[in-house]
Amino acid sequence: MKLDFNEFQQSNPTFKELNLIRQKNFEEFQRKGLPSKKQEKWKYTDLKTIFSNNLPDLEIFNNKKNSNYNKELLLRSFDHNKIILLNGNYIEKDFSFENEKKIHINSLEHELNDGKSFDKIKSFFNLKLNALVELNNALSVDGIILKIKDNYSLNKPLVIYNFFDKFSENKIINSKVIIEIGKQSKLNLIEYYSSEDNIKYFNNTAHYYSIQRDSVLKKYSINNSSKNSYNYNLTKSKNYTNSIFENFLFSLNSQLIKNDIQCDLLEPFSSCFVNSAILLNNNQHHELKTDVNHMHENCKSSQLVKSVLFDESNGTYQGKIFVDKNAQKTNGYQLSKALILSKKSEFNSKPELEIYADDVKCSHGSTSGNIDQNSLFYLMSRGISKDEANRMIIRGFLNQSIETITDANVKSLIFKLFYGRLKKININI
Amino acid sequence: MLDIKNLNVSIDDKEILKNFDLKIKSGEVHAIMGPNGSGKSTLANVLSGRKGYNINGKVLYEGKDLLNVPIEERAQRGIFLAFQYPTEIPGVNTNNFLKTSLNTVRKYRGLNELDSLEFIKLVKEKSENLKIEKKILSRQLNVGFSGGEKKKNEILQMTILEPKLAILDETDSGLDIDALKIVSDGVNSLRSENRSFLIITHYQRLLDYIKPDFVHVLVDGKIIKTGCSDLAIQLEKEGYEGVGEAK
Repeated sequence: MKLDFNEFQQSNPTFKELNLIRQKNFEEFQRKGLPSKKQEKWKYTDLKTIFSNNLPDLEIFNNKKNSNYNKELLLRSFDHNKIILLNGNYIEKDFSFENEKKIHINSLEHELNDGKSFDKIKSFFNLKLNALVELNNALSVDGIILKIKDNYSLNKPLVIYNFFDKFSENKIINSKVIIEIGKQSKLNLIEYYSSEDNIKYFNNTAHYYSIQRDSVLKKYSINNSSKNSYNYNLTKSKNYTNSIFENFLFSLNSQLIKNDIQCDLLEPFSSCFVNSAILLNNNQHHELKTDVNHMHENCKSSQLVKSVLFDESNGTYQGKIFVDKNAQKTNGYQLSKALILSKKSEFNSKPELEIYADDVKCSHGSTSGNIDQNSLFYLMSRGISKDEANRMIIRGFLNQSIETITDANVKSLIFKLFYGRLKKININI
Repeated sequence: MLDIKNLNVSIDDKEILKNFDLKIKSGEVHAIMGPNGSGKSTLANVLSGRKGYNINGKVLYEGKDLLNVPIEERAQRGIFLAFQYPTEIPGVNTNNFLKTSLNTVRKYRGLNELDSLEFIKLVKEKSENLKIEKKILSRQLNVGFSGGEKKKNEILQMTILEPKLAILDETDSGLDIDALKIVSDGVNSLRSENRSFLIITHYQRLLDYIKPDFVHVLVDGKIIKTGCSDLAIQLEKEGYEGVGEAK
């Protein structure tokens, strides 16, 4: 990587405190370097090697803000509120379906210009979770600060578009999305990633959510960016009493994705769901890493990850459930199932349970295998060709996780994207 | 319709069918009865194309060699196997499966594919005849179906696909008397000059409802006796050993 931090500082002058924070984070990143397989959490996604092979000359994004994005990339199948980020920069918002008094939104850039309110968000620049997060702390100049006030349920879902155009070529793009949902409020959020064809870049985003008591956040991450995109997405949530955090992750063509979800169930009766459908071909490399931390009693979590691997693809699911000694009556569940459809593909599954309370219900399971030959014979004996029968079985397999999505519009969008993608895959088994 | 000559089938050197012969003409209903392990299900599997068997001999279907025809093409040409243990296929919607299957078969036969409305109408009619609850068809294929529901679903597929040769592999096992009657009515309503049935069963009671033209007794991979439907009654009384000795 060719990260010129001095140049970055010169072109992004800021107040002293933030400048110092950036400096420290960058130094820390340089000291640690990119995560590699020597670290347990990066065992299956060795960024150091991947970057030196594929992105050796990566530079810091230092272009001027450009607000011309391709409007044809916007989703059309359902009404929604929008926020547009282009190359990590906040461009515009549209909350015309909502009572805007209930929503407070600002760009991170704007918030940082006004050093006075920095104290409120300072903590998000000091998290030392790993080298990439520190790099994000050092280099994030823009993003979103969103607050949904108490007692407000959005009428329509919010789509946060993360667009990347030719100015992202060979750049590392950093941004932060900080969302607080007030008490008894509700937000259906779609994080939608899309990029111009063939540009090669590294997208390093950090999402911080706070879900106050009796509130619901449904977060759907859809990565529809081009095949040369490399991504690390951190999601860190704090869940308070009786709140619900539902996650679904679906990715299409990106070369590399590591989704890192850290969810803290801090107060009783809060719950967290992380489900995903992973469909990989060629030499794609996708990982889902979760840390669900049960910190208080009577909380519930559930994870279902279904993966289908073709060609020389590499998929990983590292799912961890941590149960604090105070977290009695915990209900924690995780299951990973994979269909490995090529000799050269690889799937790594590492379920982890770390339990310090004695009255808990926790389970984990992991299976991997091939297409069930009895199912294949049954379908073919009804006149269905082998290719179509295989596709039906694969669709059925992944459908089971997609069916967990509780937002009907998002569910049908993901089904459409998934079927379209599967159609393009040559099934040679 | 079907002409099996000198068929030998084995798995891993274990002989299952030995010099097996059977001829079924258009419109005929044949029943094959036999003890466990006599090769009944193997016969059904071989005819529908399941892999994993060593096969020698000749099977002609409508005058043409059948053994080298791919599984799906056998179905398209009109062979239907009602499974003894229908496979549960998670995530595959029963209605979608039925529609895909029907339209593939119709396409092969040179018929137009049915659109959703036409399909729903057809399935509604056929499933009502079989007293299949509508909600079952929107569930995952055979997943969580009771034994009776699975078997009825097989017969529903048969009535929708309208095969020329239907093979029923122990369709009666696991059915209560009411379901047995409904399933038998479904089969009887399909009987015609152009359609043949091969019914594999352990028990005579199914044959009280579906009167076969011929009953064959299969023991140890060979047909040891062939007769009319009275043979089934004799079997019920005397058992397979008794019939074997009578020969």
